[in-house]
Amino acid sequence: MNTSVFPRRRALQLLGLAGGAAALAPVLAACGSSGGTDALPSTAPLSGKFDGVTLKLLVNQPHVTSFRDVLAPKWQQATGGRLEVTPAPYDQLTSKQILDVQSGTGEFDIFDYFYFGLGDLVDAGALTDLTQWIDTNAQQIGVSGYLPSIYDPYTLLDGKRYGLPYDGDVHILFFNTELFERYRVEPPRTWDEYDAAAAKITTDAKGAAYGAIVSGQQVPMILGCSYINRLTGYGGNLLDAQGKPALTSDASVAALKHLVAVAPSALPTPLQIGFDQANTAFLSGQGALLDTWTDMALRAEDPTASKIAGRWGALPLPVGGTNTTPRTALDAGFGLGISTATKNRDAAAAFINWATAAPQNQLVSSTAGAGIDPVRGEVLESAGYAKVVTKAIDPIRQGLNGHPLVWPKQAGAPKLLQDLVDQLALAINGSQTVEQSLDNAQKSWESAAT
Amino acid sequence: MTRRVPLWLAAPAIAGLLLFLVYPTVYLVALALTRSSLAHPLRVFTGVENFQKAFAAPAFAPSLGKSTLFAIVVAVVTTLLGLGLAMLLRHRGAGFGVAGALLLLPLVTAPVLVGVAWKLLLAPVGGGLAGIAAALGLGGFNPLGSGVGALIVLGLIHIWQWTPFAALIAFAALGVVRPELVESARVDGASPWRTFTVVTWPAIAPSLLAVATLELVIGYKVFDTIVVITSGGPGFATALSPFVIYQTGLRGSFDMGTAAAQTLVFAAVVGVVATAVTTVRARMVRAEG
Repeated sequence: MNTSVFPRRRALQLLGLAGGAAALAPVLAACGSSGGTDALPSTAPLSGKFDGVTLKLLVNQPHVTSFRDVLAPKWQQATGGRLEVTPAPYDQLTSKQILDVQSGTGEFDIFDYFYFGLGDLVDAGALTDLTQWIDTNAQQIGVSGYLPSIYDPYTLLDGKRYGLPYDGDVHILFFNTELFERYRVEPPRTWDEYDAAAAKITTDAKGAAYGAIVSGQQVPMILGCSYINRLTGYGGNLLDAQGKPALTSDASVAALKHLVAVAPSALPTPLQIGFDQANTAFLSGQGALLDTWTDMALRAEDPTASKIAGRWGALPLPVGGTNTTPRTALDAGFGLGISTATKNRDAAAAFINWATAAPQNQLVSSTAGAGIDPVRGEVLESAGYAKVVTKAIDPIRQGLNGHPLVWPKQAGAPKLLQDLVDQLALAINGSQTVEQSLDNAQKSWESAAT
Repeated sequence: MTRRVPLWLAAPAIAGLLLFLVYPTVYLVALALTRSSLAHPLRVFTGVENFQKAFAAPAFAPSLGKSTLFAIVVAVVTTLLGLGLAMLLRHRGAGFGVAGALLLLPLVTAPVLVGVAWKLLLAPVGGGLAGIAAALGLGGFNPLGSGVGALIVLGLIHIWQWTPFAALIAFAALGVVRPELVESARVDGASPWRTFTVVTWPAIAPSLLAVATLELVIGYKVFDTIVVITSGGPGFATALSPFVIYQTGLRGSFDMGTAAAQTLVFAAVVGVVATAVTTVRARMVRAEG
């Protein structure tokens, strides 16, 4: 006699039902996960009192000090509102911001976003369209005061604006004057001079110091910057005038060849060197040359963090080949945008206006360890900022007032950049030739374009 | 008389099965067959396009071979070393003791901390091991600087971390070996090796082979130490499959469709190898029985 109350047929029926529900669930999940594309009305406030309102910010980890320690107390003093700051590692920032909105969690009001992740964030419906609000209130926001070199690249996508510039990141070349004097070399103006100086210091120092620090960890924010700095130096661009990939140009080949050739003179080994190793080596006096972000000037002069205070200098990025005009690149760079999931839209609008205004930009870009660089002309040209960055002021001004190379920022740009650095690493590692690597990267970019 | 069991008692198990097995699997397959980004999952049905993209990615196909090699080597080495350590500990007595507890330290340390500690030790400039090497006149110590060296170092770190797990299980397994049988073999003049193969091994083989299978799966899943120590480099030398899938889905491209296809392929490879190992284990256990 069959006494089972859970016969096989019944079990199959239940499993069938469960399978159907499971199959349907992703569809339902997908339906619920499409992001909104709300626009901020032009009447949204530029300032106000926000007692009892706590704004939640998801920010790039190195920016925590600027928000938590510098801006939060002043925001509370000015408006009564509070800031709750959550840091994310730079390589997870964009994905966490997308997931916050897409998952329906909607925990954050404001995103401190990478400009080259802008396309992906907009594609995900994670950023509020600020076009009307900014256009209507351009004068009060002081739009004309933002540096022209970064305002559009950081905030504009397909004719719409999604944020206000917060951190104007460019690279310049820092050098250790003590090592230069000790080993009798001159500050380099060209990449060839850079090579010669690096080789002499590394050889003469016999392991006590290295001529060059080349940041080459295989992520766009690190190896991408090192390659693009050389690309601009040799007069190249990532895209040609028609917007097509130009990764196999003569300048591009020269830039990558330089990265490969400098390795023997560099702090071992470039592909292992990230921010921490590079900064530590330079600030401890182990390395003589480092192309990095301009806020290194504040760190280098801070005796609590630096052993080379007063013994460093800064130059524009070197030039090479037939190019004789120094040019920097917008390596990283951040804007402040409003999450489409925010429930505090008015306070968020007022905050991004306040945080990117000149007094606040002056404050954060003059604070050592805040990791913020000027986004406004009046800050860049101010005596106060010049006083804190000391010897770096001329190359910083030259870079931000020039026409820096802009990284791609359309949807999918982070993948293009990762594909590029993967190929660069294979060339530096000796697994492929320079030409083969750049050809592969070019094909990957062309494939994405079609 | 058979007691009737109410049907609803099966509900929690079925719900768990649906939630933790059926739903993720179906969702993963759906992702793999559609154009899916982090922002927009399940956009358009694309058939096998994601699988083509998975293999077109320069790091993925080689990562399958490297992951398999890595997993097999570390599984064999950790199991043998674990057995050796367990036998030494057993030789001291029935208790695991302070030495045994100390041996477990790598196992109970968070993998990220393990990675950070080894990265500091292995740093070519200022690293602890580089300093020792320099003092011994071996300048230029930088095993992470070359592809093969970096993969070997990751393997050694993994073995260092997971050998205590094998030792723990092997120690417990050795507890079931009947001392009187060992003593009888010795009295009969059997050599230590003969005693091990005839008396000890048949008793511990099922447990040891289970440990080896677990170590194999753990070896396939290695991720944290790669992220912290090498980030998959230099080049793609240490880009094992979990890291490549993570990169595809969450770092840079946000291409969840291709990442899902890579996950399914990787799961199939792990499944084939694990099935082969468990089949061998079953045959050996039957043979020993």
